[in-house]
Amino acid sequence: MMHAFTDWLDDRTGYRKILDEALYEPIPGGARWRYVWGSTLVFVFFIQMVTGFCLWTAYSPSTQTAWESVFYIQHMMFLGNVIRGIHHYAAQLMVVLMAIHLIQVIIDGAYRAPREINFWLGLVLMQIVLSLALTGYLLPWDQKGYYATQVATKIAGATPVVGVDIQQLIQGGPNYGHHTLTRFFALHAGLLPALLVAFLAVHIFVFRRHGITVRDPNRAPKGVFWPDQILKDAVACLGILAVLMLLAIFRGAELSPPADPAEAYSAARPEWYFLFLFRFLKFEAVEHFGLAFGAIYVPAFIMCLIAGMPIIGISRAGHRFNVAFTWLLATGIALLTGLAFWEDKNDSNHQAALAEAARDAHRIEELASLPTRIPVTGAVTLLREDPFTQGPRIFAKHCASCHFYNGHDGRGRIVTEQIVDETGHSIEVPAKPVAPDLGNLGTRQWMRAVLVDFQNHFAPLKNAQWFGKEDGVDPEESEMNDWSGDRDALLSDANQENLAALIEYLVSLSGRNDIVLDPARVEKGKTVALDGAWAGDIAGTSCTDCHSTLAEPFEIGTEEDYPDIAEYLSTDWLRAFLANPGSPQFYGDKNHMPHYADKLSESELNLLVNWLTGNFAPTQVNDYPTALAKPAATTADTPQAH
Amino acid sequence: MNPHHAHDSDNDDVPRRGFLARATAVVAGAITCLVPLGASLGFLLNPVLRRTTGNSDDADGSSGFFSLGIRPEALPEDGTPQSFKVLANKTDQWNFYPNQEIGSVWLRRLPDNQIIAFSTTCPHLGCHVDYRKAQSDFFCPCHFSSFNLQGARQNSIPPRNMDTLEVTINEDGIVCVAYKEFRGACKEKIPS
Repeated sequence: MMHAFTDWLDDRTGYRKILDEALYEPIPGGARWRYVWGSTLVFVFFIQMVTGFCLWTAYSPSTQTAWESVFYIQHMMFLGNVIRGIHHYAAQLMVVLMAIHLIQVIIDGAYRAPREINFWLGLVLMQIVLSLALTGYLLPWDQKGYYATQVATKIAGATPVVGVDIQQLIQGGPNYGHHTLTRFFALHAGLLPALLVAFLAVHIFVFRRHGITVRDPNRAPKGVFWPDQILKDAVACLGILAVLMLLAIFRGAELSPPADPAEAYSAARPEWYFLFLFRFLKFEAVEHFGLAFGAIYVPAFIMCLIAGMPIIGISRAGHRFNVAFTWLLATGIALLTGLAFWEDKNDSNHQAALAEAARDAHRIEELASLPTRIPVTGAVTLLREDPFTQGPRIFAKHCASCHFYNGHDGRGRIVTEQIVDETGHSIEVPAKPVAPDLGNLGTRQWMRAVLVDFQNHFAPLKNAQWFGKEDGVDPEESEMNDWSGDRDALLSDANQENLAALIEYLVSLSGRNDIVLDPARVEKGKTVALDGAWAGDIAGTSCTDCHSTLAEPFEIGTEEDYPDIAEYLSTDWLRAFLANPGSPQFYGDKNHMPHYADKLSESELNLLVNWLTGNFAPTQVNDYPTALAKPAATTADTPQAH
Repeated sequence: MNPHHAHDSDNDDVPRRGFLARATAVVAGAITCLVPLGASLGFLLNPVLRRTTGNSDDADGSSGFFSLGIRPEALPEDGTPQSFKVLANKTDQWNFYPNQEIGSVWLRRLPDNQIIAFSTTCPHLGCHVDYRKAQSDFFCPCHFSSFNLQGARQNSIPPRNMDTLEVTINEDGIVCVAYKEFRGACKEKIPS
């Protein structure tokens, strides 16, 4: 019955002949492991078609939806991270397999007559695969892809004569936008795969016409494609699948923060297989001849040389040249790639930029996963309006020339300065802060330092240029230090609980919601602060003796002889303070701090204040690593660790 | 042998009919192919055939200058560069975005109180140029272009000096900059 059916089918289609030709191709010298590379490439391409189709069903190319849809695939959809992970790593593996395939073809001289055309077809396929890699890198519309691809399109723009038009055609307009995505996507999912299928079909057809390039046909008895070679191919593909699954499940594809043209991305690097070209362009000697030389002429010359190999290789010496050139090129690429990695690893600024990108990526994942989800304006607004993300940036730009944050500039970078050493050379050394470190602003640690260690807490002021030249701002001569300096009484056993209670009360004034308070202590602290309920020499000295508004609601414009600390370090207090620290309400004539009312926009000021006071959506994201030596006794109220 | 051909061979005007048929087939075929191909090509060339401008209008509607919202006195006296965002309305195909950051500039106040402005976009490949306090220079983290505080290039990686921008102070005493984007990777400063 079955036989009758297949006979009928064969009569109508002639499938047996095609199948016979496909499966029973003789392999002189037998099946070998070294012949698997072409098949693995076809296999990986098949994986890309399948996973690519899946991603296509969930992807939406526009500047407000591309990152968002990829986020949804990655974090919300069933097996989304696996599918995207496979597609991500298979793309990279395809480039590696292609390089192996090419090198092997050249070493074996498989490019020589009658296989020249097929070699050239292979080179066309290589360009298509590289174009797929390049176009795919942009589609998630994340910072990494956005900035790396911009470099590529700017290089296209450096093409002599028609560069600018080409660049505009690729990106769909003068700037990156919706049409950059729609065009890249049309290329990535439409034209390029179609071309790849077409050229691959011709490539395999011509390959079958001339057969496999065998060095020694007498090495072993003749084999047959099915099942001898297919078994080896299948084992190799299985190995590749295992590697892909492991990478996809345990490493996963990265999704950096959503693309933001307004937010510089210092960690931008091309995908690793283009890194050699990136490093090559960094040589001054190369750049000296202009960008088009290094980025267009040199690669084009190398491609032409490779394309010319079948002709160069006609002679024995020519073939030797081809092989030597291939190894030289491969070594050069490996060295440049290694160099780029090594340099980046040892570049503390690049590492800080990477760490920040990871922080942002983790944070946006948190924000986008909140019940409010992503607004229609896109995920980028979530990050732009997030104090936890923007606060450190504003701090680094406006505050870090005087204050540090846990020893760094707010964004994890050590602030340095240039000094001239004894030998007359200028060297770079860590800069000294000229104002208190704000890493623990508003915490118990901060309050304690102000109360019991005022002089040291404000000691960095002594590094300021103005110190000693003008009067009134020596922390040692401050009246607060007179009180705080009475340490015997303040730190006595009898006052231990009073001090802890006062600290609790002062922290409570800020109203911040990221530090859990002890209500009983707060109440007790209030009596200490207002009535001076201390033991020993400081009994009866209340905070309100000087800071008379302490227990009152904060109001802008209140004037006292001493700084107003009503609702001390609350968002309202800090906003008013930063806007004008020299107001009579705060430091008055003694002030040396710039006024930020005219330096920051209202929204920037709010972002900074909300970050410093812990007023933002709770987070599990690790903060920038502290650059401070660990203090002997740490308090457990580090903000942001809800 | 082709049956049609056999039939035609009996006829006297074979070559003539054959030529007409071929010519018509070629012309018809060409039209059927070229019309959709040509239309498609035109569609795809939209970015160069229907050029849009740089997509931005200055937020306050005056000509080419963007307010940076800062007074000259507020800039550091020692000439330390400070970066400022440039806000403008932006369009992206079907979307209009009011008051968006379209770029940023470095501002410096010179000893004679003159204000100079540089685009933060690296003239090499368009990354963001940083100010390095310790080295007292401008530096691009992508390909290591460096410039002194006057914007002059310090190595041959960038093709030209940093792009300076025209500065004015408006009637309210606020610094305004004629922000433009320039082509990267070329020696001349050409607006893009």
